[in-house]
Amino acid sequence: MPIYAPTLPPRENLDRGSHPIAVLMRFDFGRVMKAKLGIFFGFLFLLILLIQLGSLYLRYLSNTSVAFSGMKDFASQILTQGPEYQADHLGQAVLIPMWFQVALIGGGLVARDTLHRIRPLIYAHPVRPQDYLLAKGGLAALLPFAIQLPFVLIPWAMSLMVAGKNGPIWTTLPLHLIPAALMIAILAGSVTLGASAMAGSPRAGFGWVLGIVLGTFALGGILAGLLKAKAFLAISPVALATAWPQLLCGMKDPFLDWVPTVIGTVAHVSLWIFVAAQRTKPSEAVL
Amino acid sequence: MISLNRASLRYGQILGLSPTTFELPAGGGITGLLGPNGAGKSSLIQLLSGLLPCSSGDVRVLGEEPYRNPAILARIGLVPEGDRFPSGLKGRGWLRMMGELSGLEGPALEAAIEKALGIVGMETRAHLRFNQMSKGMRQRIRLAQALLHDPELLILDEPFNGLDPEARILLMEMLRKLADGGVKIIVSSHILGEIAQLTDRILLLFRGRLLAEGNVAEIRELLDRHPVELRLSAEDARAVARWAVDQGELVGLRLEEGSAILAVRNPRTFLPRMQEAVVAGKLPLTALDPLDLNLDAVFQYLTKDHA
Repeated sequence: MPIYAPTLPPRENLDRGSHPIAVLMRFDFGRVMKAKLGIFFGFLFLLILLIQLGSLYLRYLSNTSVAFSGMKDFASQILTQGPEYQADHLGQAVLIPMWFQVALIGGGLVARDTLHRIRPLIYAHPVRPQDYLLAKGGLAALLPFAIQLPFVLIPWAMSLMVAGKNGPIWTTLPLHLIPAALMIAILAGSVTLGASAMAGSPRAGFGWVLGIVLGTFALGGILAGLLKAKAFLAISPVALATAWPQLLCGMKDPFLDWVPTVIGTVAHVSLWIFVAAQRTKPSEAVL
Repeated sequence: MISLNRASLRYGQILGLSPTTFELPAGGGITGLLGPNGAGKSSLIQLLSGLLPCSSGDVRVLGEEPYRNPAILARIGLVPEGDRFPSGLKGRGWLRMMGELSGLEGPALEAAIEKALGIVGMETRAHLRFNQMSKGMRQRIRLAQALLHDPELLILDEPFNGLDPEARILLMEMLRKLADGGVKIIVSSHILGEIAQLTDRILLLFRGRLLAEGNVAEIRELLDRHPVELRLSAEDARAVARWAVDQGELVGLRLEEGSAILAVRNPRTFLPRMQEAVVAGKLPLTALDPLDLNLDAVFQYLTKDHA
C-alpha cells in the first residue's frame, strides 16, 4: 500500500481579498484599456464631441452676439431646437459609433474566455456563475455608459460656463440624459453580453452583436413598414437606444413611444441576460 | 479526504460517469485517473473540482460537497486540460488575477506568486507573454496558478499532453515534491507508462465506469481470471513448454527461439510450482520475464474485458 505524507496543517483563511466581481472586472478593464482600437474610437468620439461643442458655441453666439444676429434665423432653421436639440446630445452621431465600439469590445468579453477555455478555471475558484455574469455584464454596460457620459456632461458644463442658466443647454440636462444613458448602457451591455456568450471567439462575438443590432433593425423596419405600426421598431436595440433620450427629454414626436420602448428594452435585457446565463453556467464550461 | 458514494454525472441524455463509489484517504500522495478518451476522467474531475453537481449519489471532498462551495473550492487547485491562453497576456498578470480570485491580495498575493513560481521554476520567465513561452513553460504557469493558494488537493487533467520528455520529467519531479509535502494530487492521463512511474494509486476508468482501484499490483490481483504472459528462456524451450502444459494452468503457449511464451491463468499458484521445479532441477530455465505486468497490460486487459 502507498505511504501517505502527513496532512498539511490548517491553512489560514483566504477569504479577505477583493470580491470576484471586482477582480474579473478589473482584469477585463485592464485588457480593454490596452486595446489599440481604443485610440481610433477615442479620436472618433473626440471629433464628435468637438463638433457638438462647436454647434453649442454657434448657438450661443447667434443668441448673444450682435455680429451673429443676422444668422439667427438661418441657424434656427438648420440646427435642431428645443427638446430635440437636448436629446441630440445622445443622438445617432454618438450612438452608431458606440454600437460599433461595444460590439468590438463587448463581443469579446465572454467569447474570449470561451475560446481560451478559461471559464472552467475561473469556476474552479470560489467564483459563482452569477459573479462571472455580473462582472462581464457590468463591464459591458459600463463601457457604453462611459462613452456617453462626456457627451452629456461636457456640453452641459460648457453651456453653464459660457451662458449660465440661460445657455442653449438645459441646466437640468443631466437629469434627463444620464438616465437615458443608463438605459442605453444596460441595453447595449446585455445585447453584447448575450451575443458574446453565444460566440466561440471575439471575432464571432463582434459578428453576433452586429448581426443582432443590424438584423433586428432591418426586421423592425420591414415589419413597421408592412404593418404601418412604428411600434414594431421596438424589436431593434438601435431604435430603442435612439428613443430613450428623446422620450426623457420630452420630444413631441419621438422615434418610439413610451410603451414599446419600455417593453422592448425589458424584453431585450431579459432575453440576452438569460442567454448569457445559460451559456456561461458551469455545465457549459467543459473541461 | 475524497469519497464518492454511487456518484454519477449525466450531460442531458449522455452518461458521463456511471454510479461510482470509491474513497481516497487523507494526506498527500498521487492518485492517477487512467482511461482512454471518453472514459469519464474529465467528468470525475468536474465533480471533484466542484464544477458540476452529481446527477445522483454523493461526492465529498475534504469532508464537504464541493459543488458551489467556496470554502472547499478555496482548498482545491485545478489544472485543466489544454494549452490555450490569451496570447497578449503575461504570466505574472495571469497569476495575479487567479490569486485574487482565490482571495489573496497585497503582499500576501505577491509572496504567493513568488513561492508558486519558485516551485515550478519560472521565477525569471513569468514576465513573458504566453505567446512567447514554450508549451512546457505555459504548463508550469498553469501549475503555478493552481498552487497559489496552497491547495490541499491538486487536480491535474492530462498535464503531460504535448510536453517534451524533459518537461514531463520536470513536471513529474514537481508533483512528487508536492505530494511529499502533504498535497493530495490527482492526475488524469491516458499516457499509461508515465502515470505508472508517477502514481502510487490508480483509478481505472472506461466508458464512464470505474473498472478498478488500487496500485498496479492490487489491480493485477483483481485479474486472476486473466492470463499473465511470461517468457521462460531456456536452452530447451520445448522441455519447458512440455512441463508447463503438464501443470494445467496454461491458456496460451508459443515457442520462440530459446524461449517459451506462456499465458498463465493463475500466476500465484503457477509461479511457486515453477520455482520448486527449477530448484529440483526439473526445469532448465535461464531467465524469467513477465511480459505484461505493467500498466498498459492491466489497462488493455480490463478495457478489452469491458468493451
